[in-house]
Amino acid sequence: MRRYVAFTMALVVASALLAGCSSKDKTEDNTNTTAVSGTAVQESKEEAPTESGDKTKEIVNYWHIHTGDEAKVEDELIAAYNASQDKYEVVGLSMNDQQKLIVALSSDEGPDVIFSSNANLTTYYFNGLLKDLQEYADRDQIDFSQWTDKAIQACTFDGKLYAMPESGGSAIQMFYNKDLLKAAGYSEPPATMEELYEMSEKITKLDGNGDIEVMGYPLFPLASARQELIYAFGGRWWDEEGNLTPESEGILESLHMNLQVREKYGIEKVQAFVGTANTNRYTEQDMFFTGHQAFRFDGAWLPTMIANNNPDLNYGIALVPGTKAHPENRGASRYEAGTVAMPVNAKCKEGAWDFIKFASSHEGSKIMDFGRGMTPARIDLMDDPDLKSIPGLEVFIEATKQGNGINYPQIKDYAKYVSLIDNALDLVYNGYQTPEEAMADLAEQCKGLE
Amino acid sequence: MKKRVKQSVKDKRNNLNGFLFALPWIIGFLCFSIYPLASSLYYSFTSFSPVSDPVWIGMKNFQNIFQDPLVVKSLKNTLFMSFISTPLNLLCALCLALICARQQKAKGVVRTIYFLPSVIPMVAGTMVWIWMFDPTYGIINSVLAKLGIRGPAWLLDPKTTRWSLVMMGLWHVGTAMLVIMNAVQEVSSSYYEAAKIDGANVFDLFFHITIPGIAHVIVYQAILNLINSFQYFQQVYIIVRASSGNAIGLASGGPANSILMYPLYIFHNAFVYMDMGKASAMAWLLFLVVAAMTVIMIKVTKRVTEGMGGE
Repeated sequence: MRRYVAFTMALVVASALLAGCSSKDKTEDNTNTTAVSGTAVQESKEEAPTESGDKTKEIVNYWHIHTGDEAKVEDELIAAYNASQDKYEVVGLSMNDQQKLIVALSSDEGPDVIFSSNANLTTYYFNGLLKDLQEYADRDQIDFSQWTDKAIQACTFDGKLYAMPESGGSAIQMFYNKDLLKAAGYSEPPATMEELYEMSEKITKLDGNGDIEVMGYPLFPLASARQELIYAFGGRWWDEEGNLTPESEGILESLHMNLQVREKYGIEKVQAFVGTANTNRYTEQDMFFTGHQAFRFDGAWLPTMIANNNPDLNYGIALVPGTKAHPENRGASRYEAGTVAMPVNAKCKEGAWDFIKFASSHEGSKIMDFGRGMTPARIDLMDDPDLKSIPGLEVFIEATKQGNGINYPQIKDYAKYVSLIDNALDLVYNGYQTPEEAMADLAEQCKGLE
Repeated sequence: MKKRVKQSVKDKRNNLNGFLFALPWIIGFLCFSIYPLASSLYYSFTSFSPVSDPVWIGMKNFQNIFQDPLVVKSLKNTLFMSFISTPLNLLCALCLALICARQQKAKGVVRTIYFLPSVIPMVAGTMVWIWMFDPTYGIINSVLAKLGIRGPAWLLDPKTTRWSLVMMGLWHVGTAMLVIMNAVQEVSSSYYEAAKIDGANVFDLFFHITIPGIAHVIVYQAILNLINSFQYFQQVYIIVRASSGNAIGLASGGPANSILMYPLYIFHNAFVYMDMGKASAMAWLLFLVVAAMTVIMIKVTKRVTEGMGGE
């Protein structure tokens, strides 16, 4: 008898163990889901429509990367889509973890639609994660002239469409502290890097120990120093054809000016300032919010953060400067797009495409761009009064219209290249290598990249 | 010739019952340990991304590993942690263990204080350390400034980043401290009394009685910490994520890749570059190194224990 009891118990435990591991009929944690309809998150099956409320709708799972207030905007987008038709129901999930997405896709448990930046889109494309949307676009005769060329370019690989843009523009421009400029005798922001350098020298303040109290030159954030500070000089890490160009003249010119600032105030002291700025980035103690940084190359999201942390800050926004020799570089910035794409193993493909079309439509894009304060990728939203009413966004729209945005290169090893660039810049910034040495080494290291 | 002992029916039933009770664990072990292990071995000889079928490429992944300069860099960084951080951690644990073992008053409180960091989640602890390393407002540079020393930008200068990790490691010696402390307390007091009668001083007692008495535990801890150091991941992952603004899809290894540890580089290959085949091959190399270390650990511990006359 005992043997049967033991056998039964073992079976029960084994079944429970295996049932717990099963991916089917699972109940997801609703704390981080954004199910708009109020129904539980369900598995999507193209061939098996799922009951939702009083209507039979196919579920389209949508994973985005937004949290907090931005996730609420995604909720709004999903609610608007779900209300617009009765065939599909989109269920959103906020999932700011690339690892989880990859694991889900590899085990065929991924979503039907994903939100992705154009930078990550490149990696996804080259690893075969994305479904070609060209056939859908051709079938539905999508008119691509509704979006800027750069936005469509960011979504197109080898001549085929792999995503649709929700937003897109020259992502980084120059924020400046009006009070600091005024105290140094300036009423207008700089238009060239030479002017910026001169103003920075006057604005930079040291304390009794020689430590930097107020920094003029925008050495922080490091990602902007790697991109916009370089682009202002006409430097490019890659050319239009996707060839890697780390020894571009503009890069060296920019790095020399960068290094000049570091050597003037002491590399250790500049690094201390940058280190603190990095630790306190976007917090109440952010160097720009607290008046310790005169110029900041940052994104359209910064005004909201300033309003939340120091609404009294007297600041302005202007285009990133060019140089005296190349004034046409004003406003040059990385081109960033928020896109929606379909994973190659999406289950509800027609529903996914329908939602992608909605998210990139006038209505869907406006919800996202207005809610998140992003530059629109759609031409018909460029002069939208609601969008223009967002503090500072007009400057970003102006920069986007100028067409100086620089798209990421469409190469397989883009992420590796960025890692190598950062490595080289760290060596320059810390004074271990000259810009020429570091860039020559980088050029050598790049030879193996695809 | 061995005589086969015939099992009674009761014994057989007991064995079967035991097996059935262990079955859920065995199934779990086969599904979640053995199967992934075998799969990753197969994948290490293939090229595949998360959604594509693996394509057999033979030894190419292993060849790539040895040609990749970042593998060498990550190995150097990992070895730095193994052979600099591990001895320092042990020394710190030994000192704390001696203090705690000799503590007469508030023994429990003192032990708890030293052990507390070990129960704090690594993520929270690392975030606190990032703040402590802040060059301007951080407590470490503030203390150094009071001593007239100018502290560096700890997590920004490639020369200081790894030393910052060493300092962080010292904070987590609570477990090793407890183990060593127990060993110290187990050394018979009669040895000390006899040595004192023979005129031994404090140093004689420490080097000729305490250290030989706890050598087996120290060796065990040393090798265990060494193995753990080859799996150093969490702290650096949190630091590089925090310093890159939590950006998705960036494969940072800290300033000039100075804190790119081997496991972090495996992670980058798998989940940023999506080169699962190479990541599997790297993981297998790590597995072989850790397995070799384990064998050494067992042999050395056995030899030391035998040398001390223990079991």
